[in-house]
Amino acid sequence: MSKMVKLTIDGKEVQVPEGTNIIDAAELAGIHIPNLCYLKGMKGIGACRLCLVEVEGAKAPVIACNIKVKEGMQVTTKTEKINEARKFVIDLILSMHPLDCMTCTKAGVCRLQQYAYDFEIKESSFTRKKFGYPTDEANPFIKRDPDYCILCGRCVRVCKEQGTNVLEFMGRGIGAKITTANDKPLQESECTFCGSCVDACPVNALLEADRWRKGREWEYEKVNSVCLLCGNGCDITVSTKDGKVQKINSAQAEGSAEKYICAYGRFGFDCIEADTRLTTPMKKVNGELKETTWKDALETVAEKLKEAGKDTGFISTAGIQNEDALTLKKLAKDVVKTNNYDTTMSLYADADCLKNSQSADIDKADLIVLVGLNPSQWKRVLPQLDASVRKRVERGAKLIVINSSETKIAEVAAVTLTGDEISSLKALAKAAIEKGLKADKKLESAVSDASVSEDVEKAAALFAEAKSPVIFTSPSLFEAASNISLIKGSVVAVPAESNAKGIALMGLTTEGKTYKEMVSGGLKVLYAVGEVPVNKRPDVDFLIVQNSHLTELAKQADVVLPSAVFLESAGTIIDYMGRLKYLPEAIEPQGEAKSHKDIFIQLAKVMGGSIKRPTETEVKKAAKVKVKPSLKPFEKKEGLDVSPDEIIESVNASVINGSRLLWLKEAEKAAV
Amino acid sequence: MTEVKEKKTEEIKKEAEEIGCPVKRALYYIEEFLNGPMCGKCFPCEFGSYEAKIILQNIIAGEGTESDLLALRKIADEMLEISRCKKGKDTAKFILEWMGTNAYKEHIEGRCPEKECKALVEYRIIPEKCIMCGLCLEACKDNAIIGEKKVSYRSGYLPFEIRQKRCTKCGECIKVCPVEAIEIIDVKVKETETVSAGK
Repeated sequence: MSKMVKLTIDGKEVQVPEGTNIIDAAELAGIHIPNLCYLKGMKGIGACRLCLVEVEGAKAPVIACNIKVKEGMQVTTKTEKINEARKFVIDLILSMHPLDCMTCTKAGVCRLQQYAYDFEIKESSFTRKKFGYPTDEANPFIKRDPDYCILCGRCVRVCKEQGTNVLEFMGRGIGAKITTANDKPLQESECTFCGSCVDACPVNALLEADRWRKGREWEYEKVNSVCLLCGNGCDITVSTKDGKVQKINSAQAEGSAEKYICAYGRFGFDCIEADTRLTTPMKKVNGELKETTWKDALETVAEKLKEAGKDTGFISTAGIQNEDALTLKKLAKDVVKTNNYDTTMSLYADADCLKNSQSADIDKADLIVLVGLNPSQWKRVLPQLDASVRKRVERGAKLIVINSSETKIAEVAAVTLTGDEISSLKALAKAAIEKGLKADKKLESAVSDASVSEDVEKAAALFAEAKSPVIFTSPSLFEAASNISLIKGSVVAVPAESNAKGIALMGLTTEGKTYKEMVSGGLKVLYAVGEVPVNKRPDVDFLIVQNSHLTELAKQADVVLPSAVFLESAGTIIDYMGRLKYLPEAIEPQGEAKSHKDIFIQLAKVMGGSIKRPTETEVKKAAKVKVKPSLKPFEKKEGLDVSPDEIIESVNASVINGSRLLWLKEAEKAAV
Repeated sequence: MTEVKEKKTEEIKKEAEEIGCPVKRALYYIEEFLNGPMCGKCFPCEFGSYEAKIILQNIIAGEGTESDLLALRKIADEMLEISRCKKGKDTAKFILEWMGTNAYKEHIEGRCPEKECKALVEYRIIPEKCIMCGLCLEACKDNAIIGEKKVSYRSGYLPFEIRQKRCTKCGECIKVCPVEAIEIIDVKVKETETVSAGK
């Protein structure tokens, strides 16, 4: 806990943590200090001058975005003089801003609109200015309209800090324009279309490209949820209207830059209504898939499962929710009575490492160590991890990259240790102990044979200095990496899929055949749940595919059961940091699709069994683990060789192919 | 290409002070400021000085109104108050320094006391003084002067005249006139004269 500071804002006494700036402190007290260029979570730059406040004892007004609170401070946020100044600035901006609020998509959340209202400015008293820069709308994701731009620079800073560095000021002063290098359209720049700039823009200069006439803020219903498309499990806010998802934003307050989401999470929702979307159950009749009823489909499946019994196998992705995992396990174990149930998690992680993985606050880390991980915003492999690491580094944290192959993130690292990861980890431990850090005798002897290079020395020095280091590791290297955390810091395994940790904790890990064994054939019945990365039908007598989209595998199935996508199903997941996250049902499932758990429960009923809907307590109980860190062998787990790139790309094939992300993929392919 | 060194506000101030008309002086300062040291890091200064430039141009073009003066004063006041750095505040001070004098007011009324704002003045040849020597005719690159050079043994010559439509008020004729027969008059003054003459 940081120290609390007491101060008075507009006569209201407030207590806030030390180091808070005046704007944030006032927000906590329920007082809004106008601002256009400030982004919560970033250092204030004081460009717009709207956040000027008076502090008792100070000669002149100070900017609230950049001044930290002090004990006993007396702040006045509204005086006649300050209001006049604010009005002046808004008046000037309005003189170069279109006055078409009646048709503007941003109406209702536009900061400029709000302030014009607050300061009673109907139209600018200054000369009207227009620069006539063309709009960039050549891509299906982000529309840039410089006419609306107020030059606050928020987008530029957000883009810089997360390391994409696409947007920049061209020129200065009033005729300046925010654009890409050489003023190229976005798709010809290094843009990853994450849309952070859209979230940051206070006006209508940067907007989702498809928003025209799709409703404005006050028409939306908003729910907070979680994106399940990759192992980062980012927080999202889903805006719906007329039962349809209209847009997805990063789940953060307007005017903050604390959370990142990528193009998949923001724009992948088109796939809900893709052509390949399954809305009715299907059954193979005379070699052809035909639509059928749920009753018929479930009865057919039930019969086959009963016949096959223990020769049945269940495979699933690790992107299903905890409740789905619990019901699936019960269906397999208690109703079908088979021990064969496994997920794609087993391709890249083992359950123990995920269970032992710790939690950490990356925003407090002063040293980050990436072991065997290659996150990339550009390839959209754990992009949020990439962005948050870069952000931390930008704000002063140090980064050590330990990877046997080349990584892009190494460009911001203080030290990069190439070569075999296990040797590097051992050497790091040895060098750290030699620097006088306390460690177990057993650990000391385990690493005594390591050879310490110059780079390792440097890394160890950083590690020795750090107060709260966080080690992020690929699951296969978790045990070796966790040995480092025995000396200091915390260690987090980062799986490729969103609910891998939940799957491990819910116990959906096989007691019979593994995932790999099951997809190589030999079972009587194979039941595939979710978008499993299998394209060719394994050699089985009967294949059931339960998925939201008609995949290649589904086309070869005997029965296809339409499932809900994650936005259509309420449940929970446990992300890689061990946080239990809730997903509401943002919209109803399309057509006759049902959530995974509902299908399992009904199927059990048809089979004469009964599965109760898992309760929150049940999930929480299963999620409880006691972590006892102990010395582990310095070894890389074998057989966990499927890379995150591969997994993320294949479990999201339908999302990509069924949405505007396809455009991006094709554009990227064409550019190579 | 030679690198153009960026001017400092002090240099601009010095250069500007060589201009006689306070309004023109302010415009020169603002234009040089926008081209040079203005950093664009805070709204009041970057947007305010641009607007001030437009207003000053208006005034110099003879289209200024009372509300332009108010707006200009407001810009300068606020820039002085809330600009981020000294550069913005200096610019505001420079504008304010002369706003108190009558010069601005006179401009709004259509007179440039220093006779430097071209839109507010006209060149005129004083007929009584003109000796029809023809030097101005030769000097005028715009062919704005009509008249016939006097030949000493002939009579019936008329004094020269300036065609206002063509005159660009470059001042070359004044320089060559040996008898100081060319004067600069305020447009507004001329108008009132014509009105009174017509009575």
